[in-house]
Amino acid sequence: MRRKNSIMGMAFFGPALVLLTLFLFLPMVLTFGFSFTDYFALNPELTHFVGLENYLNIFKDELFVQSFFNTVKFVLIIVPLQCGGALLLALAINHAAHCKKYFKVAFFVPVVMSLAVVSTLWMQIYSPEGILNTLLGQFGIDAQPFIHSAKQSLPSIAIMSVWQGVGYQMIIFLGGLQNINPALYEAAEMDHATGWQKFKDITLPELKPLCVFVFITVTIGAFRMLVQPMVMTGGGPDHSTYTIVYDIYETGTVNWEMGLASTMAIVFTIFVVVLTIIQNVLTRDKEG
Amino acid sequence: MLTKRQKWLNWILVGFLLVLSVFFLFPVLWMLANSFKPDAAITADMNSIAAFIPPAPNGSFFENYVSILFNTKFLRYMANTLFYAALLILLGIVVNGLAGYALAKIKFPFRDQWLLIIMMLLIVPTETVITIHFLIIAKAGLLNTVLGYILPSIVNPFNIFLFRQVFVSLPDDVYEAAQLDFCGPVKYFFTMVLPMSKTVVATVSVFTFLNVWNDYLWPSLVFTSSDLLTAQIGLNSITSNDNTTMGQTLAVITLVTIPVIIIYSLFSKQIVEGVTSTGSKEG
Amino acid sequence: MSFIEFKNICKKYPGADRNTVDGFNLNIEEKEFIAFVGPSGCGKSTTLRMVAGFEEITGGDLLIDGKKVNETAPKDRGIAMVFQNYALYPHMTVEKNIAYGLKNMGVPADEIEKKVNWAVRILGLEEYRYRKPKNLSGGQRQRVALGRAIVKNQKVFLMDEPLSNLDAKLRVSMRTEISKLHRELGATTIYVTHDQVEAMTMADRIVIMKDGIVQQVGKPMELYEHPVNQFVAGFIGSPQMNFFSVEVEGNTVKFCDGNRLALPEDTAKKLGGRQGRMVLGIRGEDVKLDEESIRQYENNKLEAVTSDTEVMGNENNLYFTFGGSQAVARVSKYEVSQIGDRISFVFLPSKIHFFDAETGVNYMEG
Repeated sequence: MRRKNSIMGMAFFGPALVLLTLFLFLPMVLTFGFSFTDYFALNPELTHFVGLENYLNIFKDELFVQSFFNTVKFVLIIVPLQCGGALLLALAINHAAHCKKYFKVAFFVPVVMSLAVVSTLWMQIYSPEGILNTLLGQFGIDAQPFIHSAKQSLPSIAIMSVWQGVGYQMIIFLGGLQNINPALYEAAEMDHATGWQKFKDITLPELKPLCVFVFITVTIGAFRMLVQPMVMTGGGPDHSTYTIVYDIYETGTVNWEMGLASTMAIVFTIFVVVLTIIQNVLTRDKEG
Repeated sequence: MLTKRQKWLNWILVGFLLVLSVFFLFPVLWMLANSFKPDAAITADMNSIAAFIPPAPNGSFFENYVSILFNTKFLRYMANTLFYAALLILLGIVVNGLAGYALAKIKFPFRDQWLLIIMMLLIVPTETVITIHFLIIAKAGLLNTVLGYILPSIVNPFNIFLFRQVFVSLPDDVYEAAQLDFCGPVKYFFTMVLPMSKTVVATVSVFTFLNVWNDYLWPSLVFTSSDLLTAQIGLNSITSNDNTTMGQTLAVITLVTIPVIIIYSLFSKQIVEGVTSTGSKEG
Repeated sequence: MSFIEFKNICKKYPGADRNTVDGFNLNIEEKEFIAFVGPSGCGKSTTLRMVAGFEEITGGDLLIDGKKVNETAPKDRGIAMVFQNYALYPHMTVEKNIAYGLKNMGVPADEIEKKVNWAVRILGLEEYRYRKPKNLSGGQRQRVALGRAIVKNQKVFLMDEPLSNLDAKLRVSMRTEISKLHRELGATTIYVTHDQVEAMTMADRIVIMKDGIVQQVGKPMELYEHPVNQFVAGFIGSPQMNFFSVEVEGNTVKFCDGNRLALPEDTAKKLGGRQGRMVLGIRGEDVKLDEESIRQYENNKLEAVTSDTEVMGNENNLYFTFGGSQAVARVSKYEVSQIGDRISFVFLPSKIHFFDAETGVNYMEG
């Protein structure tokens, strides 16, 4: 019977295992291996082992360093706006006694749209003679270059990303708020708690694990920024919206420098894994 | 019961949210309204409230849409994407479902270790292996083929894990009863396990569809031939064409979004559950 | 040759330090209704699941109809099973649930139809035919599970605590129904239960198990009247048999509260001269309060004070403390007394059991 189970188990798990090996384990091993070589995909015969040279070089590579700082800037703008915005929206909607359903849908609409669609739409919105500049004009503000200037392109894309994504986290927070046992509030009421005290002593602590989760997923999401600059600015102007993933992608699939791309990928993966571990540790503490 | 003051505050809150939602939605409203206008009208309306109002229905009301649907390959791109999504949903449910079932119910060697590995794979960001996928597919001569596009996307550790979590709570005695009813393990999986787990099958299908429909990076790498493009890449190739007008661009992106809106309104329950479950630790 | 033969069947789970089922020997005749009974964890369900083929047999041989089936797949053993939680297919209607096995066996459609009609009729499920399990009550689900088992014409029925999820009233009526089905179909049945009442009322023979070991096999009244050890004596019968730890000196039984009992000649003979500490057992109905019995055993008359009563009319239990333990007497409605009343009673000497204080072996059944 045990042998039958082994055969059946492998028959059921086998197809997934083959695909996992081909498209996850093998790529991970290759990425790791390539990161110590100067593998050039168009000329693989000339591959040498270069040790840690790539790891040193990418931090000397101006473009990578710039893409790194651009990514950090994206993270710094997106994370507080999107997390805070989502939380505030969820709290407000949860409190509103009317039009709840409409609000939920309204703020979720951009989530439904794909990154390519949103990017294309906002290229029109952000265009120099576009609707946004026209609207600003109504308030007496001069036309802004938005994505066409190295200075404004990054914040413009970041704000658009927040607009697109905030509804998703809002729904998560709303779910969390609805999961709070209403008896807690009733008990607090009996204990003469004020609205602010109820928020501070019940809502926030109950939502804390969810806050950590949202914070980390939004951070990781922002680290992965790629499609928006790819569609809207091509990473420009002057590489002002070039990101790490964009750099990995271009180095690997456009320039075919797999060795270098792999090194960047490893560094990037380490970032993401560390963030995820931090999240796990933080949320586990809450439950322990 | 709300006190009078609370009622007042509530109306202020609702009013504020209403105004906010209008500002929030202005890009979408603008997109919808102007997708029915020729470029001249779009520019002319820009300065007034008319920018957010669709034109009066007349003979050329749907002109942007008509030209996109009949003068470009857009319908073809949509059909392609639907086809890829259908394939990936089917294959994904079979491959990930079978694996999830094995991890949940069959005691095969190293099962717990495999489960741990699957859970660790959830952390790895897929963008980092996409260049290697590209290399593998290119070396296999599968660039510009449906197979090349599909293959790397079938297996999904998250879906395996999701299936496993649901299957693990299926009662064992039903499997034993089925055995006595001459139902073998493979038949049991397809005629019992999947129908008994309709909710997770629906959730995985919906999310697979949304992933395929909205994916940008991978299809842009694999497909160069215009006959195979997905809607998102096709959209990009249409809008980056200099002959495409602004109205037509808005019409394309509206069209691309319509199937997603249909899916969301049909399956909003599964989606909200899926979204909220990613937020809970059990997810 | 018996229909089902257990030859020294053992079950040891990997990593366990002792056998879950140890040296199980039993012959079951065709058409017999056998109940496996015992406290939870005694190995009765494991044994049943070994017969079904869901648990590997780690030692010994299992023969069904003369063929060794240790390695045979469950479906090829010619068995049908009713599960504790019914194990109905939740997405199929009653009808489909019952027909499913037949369909997979390749039975022609018109014959399936006939059999399902028959099963639905005799189980009284006609009006629920097109319902799904979640829209049925517990009793109805139980019937569907039975229907699924009976349509397949298998020679062996296995039932794993089939009534344990039903309420008390339903349990009684299902008991009769299952017995009736067994009489009509004549399939060899193994019935696992922790409820000795079910075992006593339904089974031709009962197998009592404890800690993986068979304690006694026999007809219900055999177990009731002649338990081989204290465990069986205590497990069968309700209220439980009274036990007193006593000291036997010569022909005198000394209770630890100082009461004494003189053993009549033939009882003492069965004891075979054994002396010292042992456990005296007597059933509640053998503790007699009627005048006639008391007159008959006048010299062994005992006394106690009623501490509690359960008066149901036809069954009346008087509880009292005697010989250092709580004891019960089952009396007729003429002998019911009030709490606090002083009562006189005698033990029917021929019904007294003596058990070994350590091993629990019944000296009277030697």
